[in-house]
Amino acid sequence: MNPLDILYGAGGAWLAAAVTGLLAGSWRPGVRACCGLSALAGGAAVAGGGWSLVYGNTRVAAPGPATIVGGPLELQMTSLAGVFVAVLGIVAVAIALYVPRYHQPSRGTGVYLAACNLAVLACLAVLTAGGMVTFLVAWETMSLACYLVILRHPRSDQTARGAFWFLALSEIGFLLVVAAFVILAAKTGATELSVMAARGHLVPGGWRAAAFLLALTGFGFKAGLVPLHVWLPEAHPVAPADGSAFLSGVVVKLGVYGIALFAFRLVPVDGSWPGLVTMFAGAVTAAIGILYALAERDIKRFLAFSTIENTGIIVTAFGAAMVFRSYHQLALSAFLLIAGLYHVANHGCYKSLLFLEAGVVEHATGTRDMDRLGGLVHRLPRSTVITFIGTLGIAALPPLNGFVSEWLIFQGLFQGFRTGSHLTAILIVLAAATLGLTGGLAIYAFVRGFGIPYLGMPRTRQAAAARETSQPVAGPALLAVACAALAVGAPVMLGALSRTARTVTGTSLGPLLLPGKLTVIPAHTDFSAFSPTYLAVFLAAACAVPFLIYVAGRPRAASVSVPVWDGGIVSFRPRMQYSAMTFSAPTRVTFDALYRPSVSVRRASDDDPAGRSGPVHYEAQVTPVFERYLYRPVIRAVEWLADAVRPLQSGDVNLYLLYLFGVILLAYLLGAV
Amino acid sequence: MNPGPNETEAAAGQLREMIAAQFGRSLHIRTLDTGSCAVCEQEIRLLSAPHYDLHRLGFFFTPAPRHADLLLVTGPMVRAFGVAARKTYEAMPGPKVVVATGACALGGVYPQDPFVHGNVGEVLPVDVWIPGCPPSPLALLHGLGVAVGRLAERTPGLTFIAGEGGAA
Amino acid sequence: MPFWFARGLRRGIVTTRYPARPDQSAAWLPTPPAFRPGQLTRQDADRMVAVCPGPALRRRGDTLVFDAGACTACGKCIEAAPHAASSSGEFELATTVRSALIKEIPIRGGLR
Repeated sequence: MNPLDILYGAGGAWLAAAVTGLLAGSWRPGVRACCGLSALAGGAAVAGGGWSLVYGNTRVAAPGPATIVGGPLELQMTSLAGVFVAVLGIVAVAIALYVPRYHQPSRGTGVYLAACNLAVLACLAVLTAGGMVTFLVAWETMSLACYLVILRHPRSDQTARGAFWFLALSEIGFLLVVAAFVILAAKTGATELSVMAARGHLVPGGWRAAAFLLALTGFGFKAGLVPLHVWLPEAHPVAPADGSAFLSGVVVKLGVYGIALFAFRLVPVDGSWPGLVTMFAGAVTAAIGILYALAERDIKRFLAFSTIENTGIIVTAFGAAMVFRSYHQLALSAFLLIAGLYHVANHGCYKSLLFLEAGVVEHATGTRDMDRLGGLVHRLPRSTVITFIGTLGIAALPPLNGFVSEWLIFQGLFQGFRTGSHLTAILIVLAAATLGLTGGLAIYAFVRGFGIPYLGMPRTRQAAAARETSQPVAGPALLAVACAALAVGAPVMLGALSRTARTVTGTSLGPLLLPGKLTVIPAHTDFSAFSPTYLAVFLAAACAVPFLIYVAGRPRAASVSVPVWDGGIVSFRPRMQYSAMTFSAPTRVTFDALYRPSVSVRRASDDDPAGRSGPVHYEAQVTPVFERYLYRPVIRAVEWLADAVRPLQSGDVNLYLLYLFGVILLAYLLGAV
Repeated sequence: MNPGPNETEAAAGQLREMIAAQFGRSLHIRTLDTGSCAVCEQEIRLLSAPHYDLHRLGFFFTPAPRHADLLLVTGPMVRAFGVAARKTYEAMPGPKVVVATGACALGGVYPQDPFVHGNVGEVLPVDVWIPGCPPSPLALLHGLGVAVGRLAERTPGLTFIAGEGGAA
Repeated sequence: MPFWFARGLRRGIVTTRYPARPDQSAAWLPTPPAFRPGQLTRQDADRMVAVCPGPALRRRGDTLVFDAGACTACGKCIEAAPHAASSSGEFELATTVRSALIKEIPIRGGLR
C-alpha cells in the first residue's frame, strides 16, 4: 500500500463527484451529495499527500485507461508533490463545506460543480503525473476546467474579460511549457519524468538553460510572476468565491510546483545564474505584487495581488535554494526548499480562507468594495474572527504560520555570505531586503484589508444590513484551524518536509534543522534558533498576564460607562473614518514612479474655487503599467500581423489551389533533400 | 453674576478633603477654550515658562480629558461649544475639579444671548472661579492652589474698601 | 556652550518662589479697585458706573455693588473718581463661591 493508492481513491471520488454534480443540477440534496464526495476525496488527498511526504517516491504505476493521446496514464507520487497534494486536499475539503451554503442553485450549477470537481481532479493528475504527456494533458484539462469555473456568473463583460485573460495567458504558458518538456524529452530520449530526471546529464548546457527559462516563464504565467501576472487581478474578482479560493490556493501553486519540478528534479545544476534569475524574478514579483495590492479597493483584487506577492516569496526561496546548491551549500539549499514548501502549505491555507471569507462578505453585504463596508465585526462576528486568523497568518505576525515560514526564508537568505562569492552574497542580500520591504508593506496592506471592512462604523446601509445567519462557516473555520495547527505544529511539519528534502535533493538535514524536539535552526548551528511552539505558548501566556492582573486588581468601585472620547465633536459620522484609498495614500505618494497616478478633478462650474457652487468630481487612477506598456503593444502587434496576413484569405478558389500546389511542391523538395 | 451650583458647604468640604489628599502635589490640568480672546490662554501658557514653572508644584498640562483631574475653562461658553464642553467634562474620570477663569467665564463680559451662555456655570458645575482679565499667572497659581486645597481662599475676607484689613 | 547657559549662570535662578514666598512682580499687576466710602458720593458712584465698560459696577440705592469677578482692572473708575477709588493691589481673588466676589460698598450721602 502506498500513497498513490489512496490518491486513486481520491481521484475516483472526485470523478464521481463531478458526475453527481452534473446530474444533480440545482437539486439541493444532489449538491450536498456532490460536495460530500468531494470532501471525502479531499480528506483522502490530505492523507495521501501527508503520507507521501515521508514515504519517498513511489515507483511509476502502470495504470488503467489508456488516453486517446499518447498512450497510458503514467502516475507517480513524489515527495515534492506531497505538500501540494495535501494543500489541494484541504482546500478542496474547505470548498466542499462552503459550497452548499454559498451557492444559490441556479441554471448553471450542475455544469459548475462538474467543472469544479474536474478541475480538482486535473490538478491532482498534474501533481501525480509520472510522464510528460500525462502532465500536459492534465494541465490543459485543468486550464479549461478553471475557465468554466471562472465563468460561473456570466453577468457582465467583466466576467468574460477576466476568464479570457486567464485562458489566454494559460495557453501562452502552456505552449512554453510544452516547448520546455519537448526539449528535455528530445535530449534525454524519454517521456517518463523519473527517467528524464535520471538522464538529465545528457542534456547539453545551452539546451538546459533554454529548457529552464522556458519552464520558468511558462509556469510563471500560471504562478503569477511579474510581468506575467496580469490574469490574476482580472480573473479573481469575477470568479465565485470558492473558485477564487481554488485558483489562488491550488492553481497558482501548480505553477510553483512546475518551477520546482524543473529546478530540482529535471534540469541539473549548471552554474548559479538560473538560481539568481529565479530569485530576482521572485523578489521583484513580491514587491510589485504588494505595492499594487495597496492600490486596490476591491477585496478580491487586493487578495489576488497578495497572492502574487506570496508567489514571489516562494519563488525567491526556491531561487535562493538553487543558488546555494550551485555553490555546494547543500544544507542551506535543502533548508530553503523546505522553507519554500512550508510557505506553499501556509499560503494555501490562509489565502483560501481569505477568499472564502471575501465571498461571505460579498454574500452578506452585496459588495466587494472596501470603501462601502465597515463595522462588520459587530454584524458578522464569527466571520471576523476567522478572517482575523487568516490575516494574522498572511501578514506574517507571530505566532501564526506565516510568521514561521517567512522567518525561515529570511534566515536562509541572510546566510548568503556562506556562498563565498561577494557578488552572489550581495544579490542574495538585495533579495532579502526586497522581501523585507514586502513584509512591511504586507502588514500595512492587511491592516488596511482587515481594518477598513471589518472595523469602525459601516459606511453604507448595505454594510449595516449584513447578517451572520446562513453564512458558511465550516469551510473557513477548518482552514483557520489548519493555520493554527501549522503554526503550533511547525516542528512536526518541518520534520516531515526535511524527509521530502532528502528525497529531492539527497541532503539529510536532521539535527541541522531540528536539534531538539521543538527548536528550529537554519541548517547551521552557529546562526540562529527559534521555537514556534514555545513562541505560541509564550504569546498566549503573555496575553493572559494582563488579563489576570486586571481580574485580580480590578477596582471594586462602581464604574460608569461613558462614550468614547472623540474630541468633543457633535456626532461621529462614518464618512469621517479612513477610507481604503486614503489609508494607503502614503504608499502611493512614495512609490508614485511605479503607480504613475493620475488625478482628475471636475467642478460643476469654476465660479467658486472652493467648490461650493456644485458637486466636485474627483477621480484618481493608478496606471496599469504592465497592461499598457507590455501587453497592449504585443496585442496590437499581433492584431497588425493578423491584418497583414488577411489578404491571404481572399476567398478566391484559384488562389487557394495555388497555395495547395505550392505547399505540395515544398514538401516534395524538402522530402527529397 | 450667577452663583455657582456648588454652594452646599458640607459636600464641598468633603470634596475638598478628597481632592487635597489626591491632587495636592500632583495634578493634571486640561485647558478648555470656550470662545475666549486667547489672552487668558497666553497667561496660562506662561505658567509653563521658567519664571512661573508650574511643574515645580507638581502640576502638568495634558490634552487628554481621560488623563485630566482639573478642567481649566476660559471664555464665555459660546452656545455652539456646549456639547463639546459637556463631552469633555464627562470624559474626565472622577474625582474632577472645574475651574473657570477670566472675566468672560465668570459672566462679567458677555450677557446671555442667542450665541453665548455668557457664563461657564450655565453648562458646567464650576468649583473655583478665578477673576481677572486676563488673570495673571500668579492669580492662576493661587487659584489652582485653592482648587487643590493647598492654599486658602482670601476673597470672602476681602471688602475692597481702602484701609480695611484685607484690601490695599 | 549655548549662550543661555552662560546667561543663566550670570543671572542665577529667576523662577518665582510663589506661593511659598511673595513675588516682587505682583506689585506691578493691574488689580481691581478698592473704594473709600467716606469720599464716595452718589455722583461719583454714578460716574463710575457709567464709565465702567462691563457690568462690574452697579448702584443699588445707597450701595455700590461691585462684582470683582467681572472687573477687568481697566482703571477707568479710578480715573473718573480718583479720590474715591484706588488700585487695591489684590490679585489672589480665587473663590469657590461666585457670590463671594460681589461686594457692597456703602455710598456717603451728599451731592458733591
